[in-house]
Amino acid sequence: MRQEVDPITLQVIGGALHSIAEQMGTVLYRMSYSSIIRESQDLGAGLFDRDYNTLCESDSTPMHIGSLPGYLRGIEKSVTLDQWQPGDVVIHNHPYYGASHSPDIAIVMPVFFEEELVGFSANTAHHIDIGAATPGLIMDIPDVYAEGMLLNGIKLFEEGKRNDTMWKYIRDNTRVPGQVMNDLEAQVASAELGVMRFQQLMKKYGKDTVLSATRQLMNYTESMLRREISKIPDGEYVAEGFLDDDGRTRGVTLPIKVTVRVTGDEVEVDLTGSSPQVPTAYNVPFEGSTKVACFFAFRALLLDTYTHSEYIPQNEGSFRPVKVTAPPGCIFNPIAPAAAEARFAQIQRVVDLIIKALAPVLPDKCTAGNAAVLSFAAYSGVRDSGDYWVFLEVNEAAMGGRPQSDGPDTIEELMRNTRNNPLEDLGMHLPLICDRYEIRDDAVPGAGRFRGGAGVVKSQRYLTDGYMTHEADRHEDVPWGVFGGKPGAGGKVEIRNIFSGESSMEPAKFSGRRTRAGDVVSYFSPCGGGFGNPLERDPSKVLDDVLDGFITPECARQDYGVALQVVDDGYGWQVDTKGTKDLRSSMASR
Amino acid sequence: MIRVGVDVGGTFTDIILERSGAGQKHSVVVTKVASTPHDQSEGVVEGILNVCRIAGVDPSRIDAVLHGTTVATNLVIERGGAKVGMITTRGFRDIVHMGRHKRPHNFSLQFDVPWQSKPLVRRRDRLVVTERILPPDGRIEVPLEEDEVKEAAELFAKRGMDAVIIAFLFSFLNSEHEVRAKEIVRSVLPDTYVCCSSDVVNTIREYERFSSTAMNAYIGPKTSAYLRRLEERLRGAGVGGTIRVMQSNGGITTVEQASDLPIGLLMSGPAGGVIGGRWTGDSCKKANIITIDIGGTSADIGVIQDSELRIKNSRDTEVGQLPVLVPMIDIDAIGAGGGSIAYIDPGGAFRVGPRSAGAVPGPACYGKGGAEPTVTDAQIVLGRLDPEQFLGGDIEIDASLSEEAIRRHIAEPLGLSLHDAALGILTIVNNNMALAINSNSMAKGVDPRDFTLMGFGGAGPLHAVSLAEAIHAKDIISPVQPGITAATGLLVTDIQYDYTHPLLMVLNDAGEAEYKVMNDALVSLTDQANRQLDADGVPLGARRFQRVAECRYVGQGFELRANVPADPMDAGTIQAVIESFHEEHKKIYGHAFRDQACELITLRLVAVAGVETLSLPELETGGRQDPPEALLYTRQTVFDDGSAQETPRYQRGKLLADDRISGPAIIIQHNSTTVVPPGYGALVMRYGDILISRN
Repeated sequence: MRQEVDPITLQVIGGALHSIAEQMGTVLYRMSYSSIIRESQDLGAGLFDRDYNTLCESDSTPMHIGSLPGYLRGIEKSVTLDQWQPGDVVIHNHPYYGASHSPDIAIVMPVFFEEELVGFSANTAHHIDIGAATPGLIMDIPDVYAEGMLLNGIKLFEEGKRNDTMWKYIRDNTRVPGQVMNDLEAQVASAELGVMRFQQLMKKYGKDTVLSATRQLMNYTESMLRREISKIPDGEYVAEGFLDDDGRTRGVTLPIKVTVRVTGDEVEVDLTGSSPQVPTAYNVPFEGSTKVACFFAFRALLLDTYTHSEYIPQNEGSFRPVKVTAPPGCIFNPIAPAAAEARFAQIQRVVDLIIKALAPVLPDKCTAGNAAVLSFAAYSGVRDSGDYWVFLEVNEAAMGGRPQSDGPDTIEELMRNTRNNPLEDLGMHLPLICDRYEIRDDAVPGAGRFRGGAGVVKSQRYLTDGYMTHEADRHEDVPWGVFGGKPGAGGKVEIRNIFSGESSMEPAKFSGRRTRAGDVVSYFSPCGGGFGNPLERDPSKVLDDVLDGFITPECARQDYGVALQVVDDGYGWQVDTKGTKDLRSSMASR
Repeated sequence: MIRVGVDVGGTFTDIILERSGAGQKHSVVVTKVASTPHDQSEGVVEGILNVCRIAGVDPSRIDAVLHGTTVATNLVIERGGAKVGMITTRGFRDIVHMGRHKRPHNFSLQFDVPWQSKPLVRRRDRLVVTERILPPDGRIEVPLEEDEVKEAAELFAKRGMDAVIIAFLFSFLNSEHEVRAKEIVRSVLPDTYVCCSSDVVNTIREYERFSSTAMNAYIGPKTSAYLRRLEERLRGAGVGGTIRVMQSNGGITTVEQASDLPIGLLMSGPAGGVIGGRWTGDSCKKANIITIDIGGTSADIGVIQDSELRIKNSRDTEVGQLPVLVPMIDIDAIGAGGGSIAYIDPGGAFRVGPRSAGAVPGPACYGKGGAEPTVTDAQIVLGRLDPEQFLGGDIEIDASLSEEAIRRHIAEPLGLSLHDAALGILTIVNNNMALAINSNSMAKGVDPRDFTLMGFGGAGPLHAVSLAEAIHAKDIISPVQPGITAATGLLVTDIQYDYTHPLLMVLNDAGEAEYKVMNDALVSLTDQANRQLDADGVPLGARRFQRVAECRYVGQGFELRANVPADPMDAGTIQAVIESFHEEHKKIYGHAFRDQACELITLRLVAVAGVETLSLPELETGGRQDPPEALLYTRQTVFDDGSAQETPRYQRGKLLADDRISGPAIIIQHNSTTVVPPGYGALVMRYGDILISRN
């Protein structure tokens, strides 16, 4: 029986673990080259024990947080625990062996202390090109082998010595070796830092104390989450939605069904009833993505870091009370060799449907329908020198209205939280120029007591011929309103050539499209749904929205029952208090 | 020569006056008065008159007033700034609304987005005009529609804006459109505060540049009004001399320059502390110092390396979660101080801070209704702070209230003894501070084992030794006047201006043409600096120029500062810049990509003009061991190892140079208490600073 660590030492070790993970993440994004890592911070880093429990993780992108244990269990199929040596570095990205998806490459180093394997220092980062069928991203491909290099538990370094053959193999099989190889170096530096800091921690406090502290910290996080789950009435909560298509077969939507079963302080997310797996890359790896999405949903709903003042450590404890079920062969648990690279829009929808299912019993913690999507755009081309350029852009969307506040506009929601790329930085280096980046003015955010967030429009113009793959969804199934709120708006994609003037509306997903100089690709993200009855919205906030151009005066009248009158103050409108009162009472009685 | 430093804090305004010069008795006088948050200048004037009275100096004889202010910062934090209008490029109205599109919390659905909920410029006041400048060379694709600018300005006139900014995409490559638009706005609104983004921060990255410009305008009118009011009040009170203001970059500036670019004042408050720390370090012959300024609710951490202040990476400079693209001393603030509250959270974890009891109700021992235990209460319970000595007895303290609070809220729920619970509070708060120090230092390549830890602010010297142990610092300094170190810093800093010129080029490929472009840019920056220093009346011999190349590896997204030699650019000097960049990269990240090309992003010139420096009177030499003349009494004190020991109290004012005191000991002065634990010894330095080291 292990001794409990005293509460003071526990806080000290907990703080140290948190700071190690943060530093690992910082080294990784600061040192890296590709904009998807350095600007977007599409990465995760942390420490793990030898049972693959997460001890701490950097606070970077939620999608990566919680995915690494899956990688470690997958790696064990190739490298068993007794095969690790100090100084080893394993590289891994196989989606059927725990990876989140193949571009998210993990770098893992063992942590030895007093000649014993005590755990792992590891990180994942999204690489811009791993030699897949089309540059950067993929959609309409036949199987997992078309995703590019599959690296399944390979020792990239053995006892500190680099495997140069493997290194060369990777360099030769990506379209942009300059970025990918330097990003891998940054990953190794980050993992090395984690090893060193974990060893120092054990040297200072003793291995047993550190390891039992990590167990207590996991139990603490677990108990905090269980406490909140047990406040939800037991029962089965269901929500359904659908996806636009699989990226190949147009016009055929794909159902998603989420059943949340709450029993005491445990919860199960059952995805039975969702679409069967699809013949394109639009499937979701179960271990590394489906489960992670469900873990995220409960953490964000129940241990919201904005409404909780205490810091709750980021560790395995938050995964334990959540069970995830998806039948094999379903889009959320595909069977090999189905491709499963383009999985983000689906898991965003899982999270959003969990929120929708629980909204009736968590009215003060939920949101109205979020955009719950990801527009992931791969712009690429070949320079005159014969070298590829590849740029991956994540376009933000918007959130639904909330119990106390409007849904944020133009923001990274749910599982993603990357940074955008400065347009001025891109313009200096790419044959691409941004023509428009602002709030959408062709669609209205969902009306409500608290309105939905407004979506974004971003237009990128090709200066030379190139290629493009776009991964997104939600042109069809519009974000919903809750508690009397109105729905938001769906997304859309338009391509227009400035020379020929030709334009076309495109589906959310297309792959390997050949683009011409002068093509302007405009992405319009969905807008969030409204929360609560729009007639209860404070008229001064409705006026603000009119003056700020989020809604029109007609919309204020029709959706919100707010009458405005013209005023000559440079802004143009003020609230007609009496008219509003009359209008609202007549609308309420209708 | 009579100089006065005035540092305004949340609770107190600290004042230091120095009288020096030939034929005069050299003296230094310090005092403090209550701050006047509604208008800081009232407290400043009262404090100056106060210090003059104590020193017996006629206020008209003051030669210089040096001022550290939180006015600009508070305008941002409290969102009390100007009504700002913005004119920007068509198609890009919402750059400041979208930010970097990353939300401030990962695991949250209810989070706030400050740049959307509390914008510096509301969307209705962001107007777009037709114009387009293109990268990479700054050519004009679409000329500026001047009529649209005029219409926008007229609309702003009707709306009664306090300030207007002009921010166009790619203006860092070509500012022609911004400059023209500014002329047009000025012609319509001659009395309104107007600035364009290339004036405020002439660097790449639109969100950061636009938002910084908006912030400059947001704080501009009120900050310049404050500075004018201060000047008037001082003159009205008969105070003579020049008035200079501390900037975020650690240099001082004139009132005029500060009014033009108030964005440079956002760290004016805390900067003085770090500079005071450097100066104290110099007089103790210590070049590597980690400073921690511990107040009631927060602690500011800074690093001095080789006697140089460190400047924060521009990617990390923000105020109130908004980017501020101007050089700032690398200072991190954490929510931990004497008023931090200790409690048990609903999951049973033992927490200290960031919640604070503040000045009201204050720690439990104040007896003003604060029932929860604070860090100060733990110090009282452990016998490290003597109740009757608290602020020289100015505040009445009830130790039994501290005991009761800790017993009820911590000791009993956790089954700990009173002392263990109090020790636990200190261990946790010290650990929080130590981790913050680590992330400010170790994470950036500083090895604390080569550094001296200097704790100041009222509570600094209580924590300093414990913190030094936690971070493995070499030794510890308790400055002679820990409570006014920040004000002291004001008297020992230089005039400093920063000028930048964006210039993107791969240095490894540079040839004669590029050398010329760089040399021309450096000459033009130096000319700008000299014009300003001429206006300030700084003699040529007192001017120093530091040339910096902000570089990154081609393809990276983060710049680091490389040194540019004083000689003109040629193959050799370029190589020196590249080498300096590799070294800096290795220092910061532990790794240099020596096979990669290095890209210049921005040239920066830092112009510095030395001013008078403070000299403190030297103490007489005592050379005594545990001088009985300074001994007050002996009392039980509990130390970090849990041992309770009879511990002598010494009166700091009676210590002389070279006196040695062996721990355990407590050294008391009016506004601060220094703890020397068992196993440590204290040595009094010649100006009264105390150096504490392990035996």
